[in-house]
Amino acid sequence: MRASGAGPNPLVRFASQIWGSIFRHGLPSTDKVAARTALTNFFLHIHPVRVKKSAIRVSYTLCLGGLSFFLFILLTISGLFLMFYYIPSVDQAYQNIKDLQFVETFGLVTRNLHRWAAHGMVITVWLHMARVFYQGSYKPPREFNWAIGSILLVVTLLLSFSGYLLPWDQLAVWAITVGTNMAKYAPIGGPYTRYVMLGGRTVGQGALIRFYVLHVVALPLIGFILMVIHFWRVRKDGFTGGL
Amino acid sequence: MGLNPYDTPRGRLHRLADMTRRQFILLMAVLASIAGSLFGGIKTLGFLFPNANLEEPLAFTADVDPEAITVGNPLQITEKRVSIIRDDGGYYAVYLICTHLGCTPNYVTNVTSGTGVTEDVAKSHGERKAAEATPNGWACPCHGSRYYIDSTNFYGPAPRPMDWVDVQFSPSGKLVVDRAKLVVQRGAGVNTKPEWRLDPKTRKDNGKTLP
Repeated sequence: MRASGAGPNPLVRFASQIWGSIFRHGLPSTDKVAARTALTNFFLHIHPVRVKKSAIRVSYTLCLGGLSFFLFILLTISGLFLMFYYIPSVDQAYQNIKDLQFVETFGLVTRNLHRWAAHGMVITVWLHMARVFYQGSYKPPREFNWAIGSILLVVTLLLSFSGYLLPWDQLAVWAITVGTNMAKYAPIGGPYTRYVMLGGRTVGQGALIRFYVLHVVALPLIGFILMVIHFWRVRKDGFTGGL
Repeated sequence: MGLNPYDTPRGRLHRLADMTRRQFILLMAVLASIAGSLFGGIKTLGFLFPNANLEEPLAFTADVDPEAITVGNPLQITEKRVSIIRDDGGYYAVYLICTHLGCTPNYVTNVTSGTGVTEDVAKSHGERKAAEATPNGWACPCHGSRYYIDSTNFYGPAPRPMDWVDVQFSPSGKLVVDRAKLVVQRGAGVNTKPEWRLDPKTRKDNGKTLP
């Protein structure tokens, strides 16, 4: 049902055609039109056509998964802005961070937004997992989503760990030295793991570019794909007691 | 399907043997593809292991007069993570990589302070004379491990002593440290003071490496 009521004015007809080509339905006044609107819109079709009001009641855990996703979006956007100024080079990285903090417009708030959202996401993901565990929400039919969520927790922690190196200050270098030496203690292939993480034997330029690529491309991409599956699975398995 | 009297494990094996030439070639081709993909995939992972990097060479020349290193005044080269120590037997060099998780321990002149270790125990590991006040050594800033001046660990989470690396005189009389050559490598609980030294008179080491 195209938007009706196009006037005789050709300009209005043209505008109406554009509007109608994007929004294929009129206002969802009836249940039938509402259902069709949801099904034929890319952004709406990931949502259920009908949701019980009780199912989306925000309860005392405040929709921790949703909070985690919100922080992920916030981190993606603030991280994108930081990428305009940050160069992953051992000679420039630290100075770039200082410039962001003291020179660039809104650099300080962008960096701090990224930093605190990162801490917050680790906390909310962890609490989300605890909530799912204590409420037994991992039980069938949701056991597959529990497994996906476990990988998402690891991805979150790896994102946090890889981002830790990027400011290239003393804390970063020695934290990554300690962290990769922990990996070296792994029983099978420990030293290889450390070598491939650092791209060498010491925390240097090779390690910085590796952690940067992991932090800004590889891990967010893996996280995004897993999140798509995670959310789709949530929809299919359904809500029971609110968010 | 279960009702088929021929559909038993033995029956299926029989059918496998009855495979036509075409089916056999197809099976072999599939197996070969899987094997080739696995092999290629594993070899491709080798891309992540760099064969060349820009790390500095492990051998370097210490740009100081060796005679400036005296008993009780070791030379700390923090950025190279090496300390060159002199005692009555000669020179030795300790590779300052904490054996716990790899930080660089700092040189301190009161290494036992606050650890409850008596100083006469510390002095049996140190090059300091008994008359001198406090024993020297290294304290790791990351998790607080402490080492005597002979690199023996005595406090904190470090599991074993730090390693000693090769130090030699260059033809021009400077000290050359080679961090690729470990001359003393002690396991957990080996607390005896190693005997390896570079003799300043003969300009040669005594060859007493461990292990």
